[in-house]
Amino acid sequence: MRAVQEEEGLLVTLRDLVGAFRPLWVRRLDEELAARITRVPTVLNEYHYDGYGLNLDSARRAALPLALLYKHYFRAETFNIERVPSGRVLLIANHAGQLPFDGMMLATAMLLEAEPPRIARGMAEYWVSELPWISVAAARTGALVGTPRNCISMLDAGECVMVFPEGVGGMNKLFKHRYQLQRFGLGFLRLALASNTPIVPVSIVGSEEQQPGFANLRRLGRVFGMPAFPLTLGFPWLGPLGILPLPVKYRIYFGEPLHFDGDPSDDDASIEEKVDVVKAAIMRGFERGLKDRQGVFK
Amino acid sequence: MEKVLITGISGGQGQLLARRLARVTEVCGADIVPWEGAGAGIRVHRVDLRKRRFEDVVRTERPTAVVHMGFIRHFQQGERLRHDVNVRGTKQLMDHCVKYGVKQLVVLSSSYVYGAFAENPYYMDEDFPLSASRSYPEIRDLVEVDTISSSFIWQHPEISTCVLRPVNVLGTHVHSMIASYLALPRVPTVMGYDPMLQFIAEGDLCEAIVLALERQVRGVFNVVGPGEVPLHTTVSEVGAIAWPVPRPVARLLFDRFFQWGLWNYPAGVLDYLTYPVSLSGARFMEQAGYEPKVSLREIFRAMRRTT
Repeated sequence: MRAVQEEEGLLVTLRDLVGAFRPLWVRRLDEELAARITRVPTVLNEYHYDGYGLNLDSARRAALPLALLYKHYFRAETFNIERVPSGRVLLIANHAGQLPFDGMMLATAMLLEAEPPRIARGMAEYWVSELPWISVAAARTGALVGTPRNCISMLDAGECVMVFPEGVGGMNKLFKHRYQLQRFGLGFLRLALASNTPIVPVSIVGSEEQQPGFANLRRLGRVFGMPAFPLTLGFPWLGPLGILPLPVKYRIYFGEPLHFDGDPSDDDASIEEKVDVVKAAIMRGFERGLKDRQGVFK
Repeated sequence: MEKVLITGISGGQGQLLARRLARVTEVCGADIVPWEGAGAGIRVHRVDLRKRRFEDVVRTERPTAVVHMGFIRHFQQGERLRHDVNVRGTKQLMDHCVKYGVKQLVVLSSSYVYGAFAENPYYMDEDFPLSASRSYPEIRDLVEVDTISSSFIWQHPEISTCVLRPVNVLGTHVHSMIASYLALPRVPTVMGYDPMLQFIAEGDLCEAIVLALERQVRGVFNVVGPGEVPLHTTVSEVGAIAWPVPRPVARLLFDRFFQWGLWNYPAGVLDYLTYPVSLSGARFMEQAGYEPKVSLREIFRAMRRTT
């Protein structure tokens, strides 16, 4: 017992030492994150966890590198984030760029720019919870397996859930399809109807160019057990380095909240009509963003 | 509930319930092992639930309510005996209940019957399929007990039957699998995983059973405690030291050592240390007015090692 405590003490000292050598602006950002994260409205138990494994200390530690990416690499800007209502809400966004940096940046925006700061809960593929370490990291930062039941119980708890209805099909879309929304899943709209949740359409401009893909060798991907095998500017030619995204500028546009009424078990055609309203709102954000920007990197 | 018969009365939870019920009603019990120091008001019959003498107990005692918790939940005595006692014992108890006019039956199942899987949603309700046999065949007898008890509710509407599926039970009386696991000198965990675990205090479970009897609730219910924490927090809160083992290694070791009889936990339990089994107890709270009273901190304090 005592040995463990000493070990922990040593680790803490090491961490503090490393921490002391961080430049002042990094420490400032960490302090800002710490101050903001205490204002997150999510209710935690006496051990500082929520029922799904979220822990705000872990979230803060994960948020620091993401906030650095957000501010200094992608130089992200958000527009109309005040449109996100308090309480239960679904953020519906486009998905692109081979790796889910768009999701991470959207979550970072909700933490750094929203008032009060929110933890945007990610809906992960179920195999994420099979991966060691990654599954724990996902749970501690507020993500969980994207089953309809999980989504409903999060919304019932008044949380902010982000969904990318294009799924893997959007994330691995080819460069020539940038800013074209791929097939949308309908599940999110049924859930919104069932739980009477407002939908905020989110248009992320920038992520669609972060990792231009020229082909997707799905069959080869399946051999490696991956959902896709993209050929991009960097991957697989540059190896692990090739998965890094280009330093594009991120612009995140939040649309007016949309409220839908209807039967959640309606046939696909009538649900699709409502989904098209959401898609149109995301497309309007694209138009605005593409007009506003001077270039991919500016 | 004029007279309650408790099967498995000599176990920790059984003793606790017997003492609690003896304050309000007449209590008797059956168990294969004796209970030294049972109070004067509590008659304990030493019988095997599968034998004819147990039927005699039910016939002569004529209980109005039966609480069935006489199960073998460990693996020390072999799978066949365990299966026979749990499944055939339950079936015969049900026959006796029908034959001798028992009005109420409470069966103590467990949350393990749902099975631990990566794709499990959080806060599963009672209608979720019971898939434990898929990854943990050693406890398929408990799944079967739960299933026959649940169908008994509809087969015999004249008996008010209640199946309770409590989450991990901790306390100083019970000898649950999870309690003995947390009492190991080094607690093996699965490296890279830290699922959320739900706990209930033995006292709260006791009250839940009393409520089920008093309110005569029918149906299948999850019974949850005050909340959930990660496995590693649990281990450190009870003052133990976790010993993370890579999953394939743990599987192999558990499997071999269990087969050789050196280790009490089959490899199937590893899934419960890897993936969450998270239950919603809303239905029981609503229908029985149940409310857990013992906090997580108090539960862990009671389990804390003294050395």
